[in-house]
Amino acid sequence: MQQYLLTAIILIPVIGALVLVAYNFLPSRKESNFKWIALVFSVIDFAASLPLISGIGPGTKDFQFVQDVLWIGTIGARYHVGVDGISLWLVILTTLLMPIAILSSWTAIQKRQLSYYIFLLLLAGAMVGVFVSLDLLLFYLFFEASLVPMFFLIGIWGGERRIYAAIKFFIYTAVGSLLMLVGIIALYYIYNTFDYVTILRLMAEGNVPVDQTAFWLFLAFAFAFCIKVPLWPLHTWLPDAHTEAPTAGSVILAGVLLKMGTYGLLRFNLGLFPDMSRKFAPVMITLAIIGIIYGALVAMVQPDVKRLVAYSSVSHMGFVVLGLFSFTELGMQGALYQMLNHGVSTGALFLFVGFIYERRHTRAINEFGGLAHSMPWFSTLFVIATLSSIGLPFLNGFVGEFLILIGSWTSEAIGRAEIATMIAATGVIWAAVYMLWMIQRVVFGPITKPENASLRDLNAREIGLLIPLLVLMLFMGVYPRPFLDRSKGAVEEIRARVAAPTAGTFASTKPEKDGSNVAGKHDKSY
Amino acid sequence: MNLLALQFTPPDVNLWLILPEIIICVVAVVVMLVDAFARSSQRWMTGGISLVGLAAAAASSVWLWGSWPMNQAFNGMIVLDELRMGFTFVFLVVSAITVLVSVAWVEEDKLPAGEFHSLLMFATAGMMFMASAGDLVIVFLGLEILSIATYVMCGFRRTDIRSNESSMKYFILGSFSSAFLLYGIALVYGATATTSGLPGTTNIAEIARRLPEAQFPLLLFAGAAMMLVGFGFKIATAPFHVWTPDVYEGAPTPVTAFMAAGPKAAGFASFLRVFVFAFPLVVAAGSTNIAGKLHAAWVGALVIIAIITMTIGNVVAIAQNNVKRMLAYSSIAHAGYALVGFVAAGAATVIDKRNAAISAVIFYLLTYAVMNLGAFAVVQLIARSGDRRTEVEDYNGIGFKSPWLAFSLSIMLLSLLGMPLTAGFIGKVLVFRAALDEGYYLLVVIGVLNTAVSAYYYLRLIIVMFFRERTTSWAAPRVPISVGVALAVTILGVLYLGLFPNRVINALQTKPPAAVSSR
Repeated sequence: MQQYLLTAIILIPVIGALVLVAYNFLPSRKESNFKWIALVFSVIDFAASLPLISGIGPGTKDFQFVQDVLWIGTIGARYHVGVDGISLWLVILTTLLMPIAILSSWTAIQKRQLSYYIFLLLLAGAMVGVFVSLDLLLFYLFFEASLVPMFFLIGIWGGERRIYAAIKFFIYTAVGSLLMLVGIIALYYIYNTFDYVTILRLMAEGNVPVDQTAFWLFLAFAFAFCIKVPLWPLHTWLPDAHTEAPTAGSVILAGVLLKMGTYGLLRFNLGLFPDMSRKFAPVMITLAIIGIIYGALVAMVQPDVKRLVAYSSVSHMGFVVLGLFSFTELGMQGALYQMLNHGVSTGALFLFVGFIYERRHTRAINEFGGLAHSMPWFSTLFVIATLSSIGLPFLNGFVGEFLILIGSWTSEAIGRAEIATMIAATGVIWAAVYMLWMIQRVVFGPITKPENASLRDLNAREIGLLIPLLVLMLFMGVYPRPFLDRSKGAVEEIRARVAAPTAGTFASTKPEKDGSNVAGKHDKSY
Repeated sequence: MNLLALQFTPPDVNLWLILPEIIICVVAVVVMLVDAFARSSQRWMTGGISLVGLAAAAASSVWLWGSWPMNQAFNGMIVLDELRMGFTFVFLVVSAITVLVSVAWVEEDKLPAGEFHSLLMFATAGMMFMASAGDLVIVFLGLEILSIATYVMCGFRRTDIRSNESSMKYFILGSFSSAFLLYGIALVYGATATTSGLPGTTNIAEIARRLPEAQFPLLLFAGAAMMLVGFGFKIATAPFHVWTPDVYEGAPTPVTAFMAAGPKAAGFASFLRVFVFAFPLVVAAGSTNIAGKLHAAWVGALVIIAIITMTIGNVVAIAQNNVKRMLAYSSIAHAGYALVGFVAAGAATVIDKRNAAISAVIFYLLTYAVMNLGAFAVVQLIARSGDRRTEVEDYNGIGFKSPWLAFSLSIMLLSLLGMPLTAGFIGKVLVFRAALDEGYYLLVVIGVLNTAVSAYYYLRLIIVMFFRERTTSWAAPRVPISVGVALAVTILGVLYLGLFPNRVINALQTKPPAAVSSR
């Protein structure tokens, strides 16, 4: 049974989509039932993904729940799926955000509900597929397949400039991933397989591509993932896509789709090309730091709440890349943790933006002010989510950013890591500035517009869909251990490959060992 | 083999080997007769007979494939190999779907059904001869049978000035290119005469054998170049593509669909056969030899042609406002992608890799045929009788008015774009893979960047259908059963070839028993 679990998690939403189509043919169908069907399937999917947690214990290194069958024999592609500590939490994050996204669309989406929920469900299947594929061609298939539903979600249910945003999103991502396809096929001719695990094994046996080949392969993969992350200067699709997408689309875009980029960097770039990763680390870290500062500064001057949150994503994802390329255990664990944090916090922020947009049909910051008077619940929870995004201690954002910054401080990936870390750390301050300033203008102060005085506060559904995210913010902030423990084995596996150029030099690995002890202490102190 | 022996060899007549072609020719004649004697209310029968004939031809091909012990007949003028069988399968599929799409169309436009289906069958027979030819003369014969039938089909709506223009343009430029091809054949014939007094040859295998000691290398090069131009015209590669948009736009939509899928594939069949088999890579000879030089020259030329074909097709397609014109440029671009696989087949140093590359090209053309026919089936329904609505604006906001039509067209467009889960993706992977295997990295990178460019115009139609609102009134077209069947077949085909292509790819690489035993 175990081996079919992942396939089931991929297929349950797809089956849900088919059920929706079938239900549409019933003569007694009701428009209002579409969302219920979608919700039921997404909740089942979430429930089905929970057993994964128990399957991966602390220290698990290998892939679990593996299913490996031949798919297209003539071109050597396999259907090979499995999870490890890295993908586990991303899968759970995906399945958790789906019901929340559907609930957030409950009243916001009034037109063409059938197709809307079909696209959402198909998207869910594709996203889970991305995180669990262990065959490169299969991975590419899901990676591209997730593009189409999101394209439709932005294009049909998006804001005013939705068409521009949708096509920009599609073409940007497609260019990157098509070059990755060339890389994948080229890799096939080196190893005669698309299978990730097999390629890793062959590499461990000493069969590594020559430097020049590895250089181009690294670039092909990195380009695709950096667009997806998005790393400065490839980020320009993101503000448009985020701003124009419907609320649920933004939640999923920020929560899951961006993670495909960082997940890909971690799994494929670091995993497959460790030597090249070391060579590229200074470039990647520089771009990441520019992204952190640039995203924060641009976020500060945005007049539109949603655009502000979108640019804050550029900044936050910069931290993730910084952590990944620090090649320290703390940094990489922190990066993985920050991926989850960003999914939870930024996902929540987009929900809040969606709530006020649904009430006022505007997102301009200067249209609001003094919402604390009319919407106390909204304001309280919004402030919590904002603080979590800023990285206040005891909330999740702090843990991730702290780990990343310690990791990059001790990093040997670049010279003068301390200076890089200091510059990056200012990003946390900028985040406080732009977020709190936005909060001040939106939530506090006197009510400046009469429309805001009579706004309805959050209803039970809206609070209910926020609860899981708020609970997670607190829980992940005070007790990160269950998360970090499970991912430790898999992250360490990749880190060991990247961080150790020559196995013999013991001295260089020693400080990192000390670092991992620090991690243990930190975990306990929370 | 000397001259005398050649003259006294008893003619190697073996009609079994051309059984599928014979069946199609007989069906063509039967269709014509039935049409002449049937009442006008029974005209639909011609479509049915054509379908039965196509099925019979398919069955006989399978039988030939599985059990025929010889791999050539008529002194090598007809051959039986993977290339022929793969392409024959593509042609039969194209014809069958075209029949399904056209049955209702000829009815609605009040055109003579029997003549149309008869012409279609003759065209199919021509295509099949082009694939089965082992001799340049048969290639030319097949090409002419095909071309003459398609000239007429283009002008089938004879009261429509656009249709006439299309037919005229195609006829004049088509004859011009046929002349190029014929002249090329003649030059190659002259160049392959030997010093021992043997006259030249048009037999493809024999040309390959005589290449190393060809007497008149310049003639040979000129002949090969002429043939390159002739074939380049037929498959619409840049810079010989300029006729395509006008002809495709003016021809009745089902004919356009057929032309983009069938004759293009047939052109590829002969093009591959002639260049890969008659001017092959001779590893032992080295590159200083005439054969080596010729091979290097044509492969190099094809690389350049492939690059400009893909680029021109995709870039110009962006600027088109007419859907048929856009799909015409898209068909040019797709010829470019298929050429990428062709280059790989030409450059392959190992027989197995060459065959794999050829089967990749065939698979690509099969997927292209299926998705292209599906797309044109929808275009034809939306255009209505007389092809009146083929502008992009005519598709405004129909996505939620005619969801199934829009859905079908979207699947086809995504497949043309090469999205995973569809046939187009696997096709692209196969040809790009073959080219990467031969080390054509730059060519492949240009290919994928072109794919990204093509996203713009394929998505544009989807955007127009789903993301815009319709301002004018829209009455959903009635979908005739036959077109519905064609759409269902193409959608299932696109998904099947996209998800489980293994069986088809395997079949395309299966060798006939004769080839296996002779090895």
